[in-house]
Amino acid sequence: MFGISNPGIWLAYLLAFACLLFSIWFGITTWNKEDDEKTNSTKESRE
Amino acid sequence: MSTLTLGIIVIIYMFVIAWLGYLGYKQTKNASDYLLGGRKVNPIIMALSYGATFISASAIVGFGGVAATFGMGIQWLCLLNMFMGVVVAFIFFGRRTRKLGEEHNARTFPQLLGLHYKSRSIQIFIASIIFIGMPLYAAVVMKGGAVFIEQMFHIDLHLALLIFTLIVAAYVITGGIKGVLYTDALQAVIMFVCMLFLLFWFYHIMDMGFIEANQRLTDIAPMVPERFKSLGHQGWTAMPIAGSPQWYTLVTSLILGVGIGCLAQPQLVVRFMMVESTKQLNRGVLIGCVFLIVTVGAIYHVGALSNLFFLKTEGVVASEAVKDMDKIIPLFINKAMPEWFGAVFMLCILSASMSTLSAQFHTMGAAFGADAFPKLGRGKNPSSTLGVRIGVLCSILVSYVICYALSASIIARGTALFMGICAATFLPAYFCSLYWKGATRQGAVASLWVGGLASLFAMLFLHKAEAAPVGFCKALFGQDVLIDVYPWYAIDPILFALPLSAITIVLVSLVTQRKTV
Repeated sequence: MFGISNPGIWLAYLLAFACLLFSIWFGITTWNKEDDEKTNSTKESRE
Repeated sequence: MSTLTLGIIVIIYMFVIAWLGYLGYKQTKNASDYLLGGRKVNPIIMALSYGATFISASAIVGFGGVAATFGMGIQWLCLLNMFMGVVVAFIFFGRRTRKLGEEHNARTFPQLLGLHYKSRSIQIFIASIIFIGMPLYAAVVMKGGAVFIEQMFHIDLHLALLIFTLIVAAYVITGGIKGVLYTDALQAVIMFVCMLFLLFWFYHIMDMGFIEANQRLTDIAPMVPERFKSLGHQGWTAMPIAGSPQWYTLVTSLILGVGIGCLAQPQLVVRFMMVESTKQLNRGVLIGCVFLIVTVGAIYHVGALSNLFFLKTEGVVASEAVKDMDKIIPLFINKAMPEWFGAVFMLCILSASMSTLSAQFHTMGAAFGADAFPKLGRGKNPSSTLGVRIGVLCSILVSYVICYALSASIIARGTALFMGICAATFLPAYFCSLYWKGATRQGAVASLWVGGLASLFAMLFLHKAEAAPVGFCKALFGQDVLIDVYPWYAIDPILFALPLSAITIVLVSLVTQRKTV
């Protein structure tokens, strides 16, 4: 793949590219999104 | 290119940096502005600053040379930089860190954990590790920048070191984190454009495409020098032989050590607390990954492919054209790139050094002035920044002295050493502060001590790369390392210390939880 026969190398390229695609998708879809994730102390204070 | 032209380019660059530092100074009104930019930093500037701080000159010149010598296996580091350094760091650590910091009104990393575990001693302990350990890492970056200036302008190394340090000191002390962030953003853009050009120009001069170049590099595998074959080198498009010395260095030190180590870097963690909301961090994921794949990915890729260029022009592979790995990329830039690009690339290297160094100085200053001595310089004004500014000045002086005091071989290990200590010492307590409410103060304290001491022990007595140049083990026991059996002396300390630190926080927390219940 990509002119590289060793899977140990082309896999690194493939996964880096996949990571880039994920970051683009994540960044665009959550560009204006606030999440409601709470930290341990928030949970404790609410309890 | 003449020294005069180079000088003019650098002077213009320095004026812009000075102006950005002044901008930071004008916008800094109190301690919160100085330490966290008032928690209202633009997400693009934050992400660019994060990336620029992450990537130092050694990542470009040093690891670029590693790619030229040992091949594309180093691309796993690029993947981990993106995945662990941005995706995992921003999504799983950053979002909770920002909220936790806001809840506790924490301004520094030691303060964040100290307030969370309700322990002043934790804050002091972390600040001490930063103030003692980080100057070594900063000294590496300082020396790298000074050597580069020395070579470009043919001036004395001591003078180069002084000039370089004074420039960074000026905008960090006056401009605070805003000065650091603005200059980082500019430096990140310079690095990004340079690496993009480098990638496109390489294919242009070699007149081949992506797959064809990779195939040609695969075909020249038999030309690997004999001295590297014995270390496990199988070619530039192949991983080293599993279990060989080169494999252990690549997998344990570079990929795991730096890849995991980046998660608990105080100067990076603090950036998560600078933004106003979670959506700013979400945007940072996109910007950070694009920045890293272009800067780090491009230099590792072109570094490995530079063998084709050297083969075409010199008739030998890169590591035969120049024996010193650190000089491969500068030589390649000199020979393969247009003349004007040499000056721009010099700005790129200066930018990479300055952005990393400024963040280090600011973090050390904060550890000194805001964590260890919070009342320093605050007499009647609690929001005074004088104490932190004094801290920054002290950290600069300590780093400057270390540059002279330690031998080059120890300084060269500074980056891996500090990253390893950070990961093993801070990561379990930091992770549990975000994800496990069962973690107790006693568990965190024990984990910090065990991680720190285990790292120190492994570096002084087990891992040859650090133990041999330090010489402490040899002085006590007459041999470089305690276990002189392969592969034990080649395994990075992080593989011993991090699991120990993680197990400690779990066990001690479980025991102390029961006692308190």
